Amino acid sequence: MINLYSYLGLSFVMFLSGIIVLVARKNIIAMLLGIELVLNAAGINFIAYTRFSNANLDGHIFTLFIIVVAAAEAAVGLAIAIRFFQIKETIHIDDAVTLQG
Amino acid sequence: MPVQYLANLSLYVPELVVVATMMGVLFLESTYRENEKNHHFVFFLTLFGLLVAAVSVVANFTVLPTEFFTHSLIHDSFGNLSKLLMIFGTMASVYLSYQSREIDQDLKSEFSAIALGVLVGGMLLSSAHNMLTLYLGVETLSVLSYALAAMRKNDEKSAEAGLKYVLYGGVTAGLMLFGISHIFGALGTIQFTEIKLALEKVDGAKLAILIPSFLLFFAGIGYKIACVPFHMWSPDVYEGSPTPVTAFFSLVPKVAGVAALVRVTFSFFTVNVLLNHTWIALLSTIAALTLTIGNVTAIGQRSVKRMLAFSSISHVGMIILGVLVTSDEGLRSVMFYLISYLFMTIVAFYIVALVSEQYGNDYFERFNGLASRYPLMAILLTMVMFSLSGVPPLSGFVAKFNIFAVVIEKRYYVLALFAALNSVVSLYYYLKIVRLMIFKEAESSEEIRGFGFVNQALISICSVPVVLLGIYWERVLMWAQGAKLFVP
Repeated sequence: MINLYSYLGLSFVMFLSGIIVLVARKNIIAMLLGIELVLNAAGINFIAYTRFSNANLDGHIFTLFIIVVAAAEAAVGLAIAIRFFQIKETIHIDDAVTLQG
Repeated sequence: MPVQYLANLSLYVPELVVVATMMGVLFLESTYRENEKNHHFVFFLTLFGLLVAAVSVVANFTVLPTEFFTHSLIHDSFGNLSKLLMIFGTMASVYLSYQSREIDQDLKSEFSAIALGVLVGGMLLSSAHNMLTLYLGVETLSVLSYALAAMRKNDEKSAEAGLKYVLYGGVTAGLMLFGISHIFGALGTIQFTEIKLALEKVDGAKLAILIPSFLLFFAGIGYKIACVPFHMWSPDVYEGSPTPVTAFFSLVPKVAGVAALVRVTFSFFTVNVLLNHTWIALLSTIAALTLTIGNVTAIGQRSVKRMLAFSSISHVGMIILGVLVTSDEGLRSVMFYLISYLFMTIVAFYIVALVSEQYGNDYFERFNGLASRYPLMAILLTMVMFSLSGVPPLSGFVAKFNIFAVVIEKRYYVLALFAALNSVVSLYYYLKIVRLMIFKEAESSEEIRGFGFVNQALISICSVPVVLLGIYWERVLMWAQGAKLFVP
């Protein structure tokens, strides 16, 4: 049976995998994907809570905004990643070491 | 209902003016790109728009605190003051960018447009009164800041700064959002006032969800103000971005973040005892760590911009101390701190920008012997450094003193001790630059092109408040005493 906790479980797994991707992968594109996973996990939470616990539409509206903002963030993030690639010819995060104290 | 919407629109005029200016700049930029004179015109349009926005913020000062747009925004003196500070910060950075040769000529109008966009985000954040506007404020602020950091397209450092900013920003925004979603689930609302009511009668099981959620939620704000566990991006981004952008980052997002932190603290954490204690424990740990790590790491830096980044981290530590006492006096001291921090930062970055532009980098050695060549500039920079570290007659001292006073009044003696020790440490690295300016021989005798008459005059004008706020601080605080500053 599918209830609130199924959705919360799914979103938690998504959140964790997003964080794991961010920590473990060194590829910048993969890291941006990890960020998307984390954002969408929050989106699933909002929808699930609105569906199962209360009637107001705040959660749905919030999710729509999350989708828009995630798209904007991905656009800017990818643009910068492409810039980085054109200058350095690599998309490995370990090569971003010019700035250090 | 629709009539009320229109009536409330008058409270939203500053934001609308800024947005209109931004669209005007974009329009001019795309239509008259080839025309050389256009750059001056864009610059004056930006300044004019900001001036109008500042005037309309001031005009709204007398309006009593109200919620508007279906309770999603709030209008109060605290928000207004932070808006005013952000507008001044933007003005200063736009002027710096107009002067700067670090930013390409044809990118300057883009800088104006994006900076105005960030400003709108900051204004939204400082008057946010539900979770959605808070989140949108943070994101508007962040997404446009990424573009600003990567402004110099062919520069390795700039691209790297932008990249680091995007990755850190994305992660913390995600964490914050995940926290918000569980807060929404547990309390069933995103309005601040309703959350406050719900928190009053919350039980143990819900607290078990709420406390971790609020910790996640803090990540988003903590990253905007660059306090310790989330500060790693700040020195890299500060060093890699062009100097006007760095100045902008240390003014606008920081003020906005502090405003959001204050609002969140006063809205959520004054009602429930357990939550209140958790939050204060969290904030005091973070404040102590932020102060210490900021100051200690600043010592070994070679780049002045990086040093200023760490110094601004430690200033945030002081500000958090003022926030965590959650009293009206604490709020006033935070406001005073923000005002004096604004002017000190503007002067410091102004001079650093002009010097680093001349030599192509901002290492400490570039300041050698500045005192013999440009005595006025050296005196002003010395004064600002003293003020930043908190030496008596200047505004930085009064700001720190006020924070100490409220912290000691609440009997947080350990925190006060931490802050005092850190002030002493900070003296070391602030005075390093003063020592180099006065006692070292100049490396070369070439003129620094930036230090023309106009710039010297403007720097002097900007540094007047650093002295005046240090002397007439009582009047400023008295003036703030009367106003009902803040409505949680």
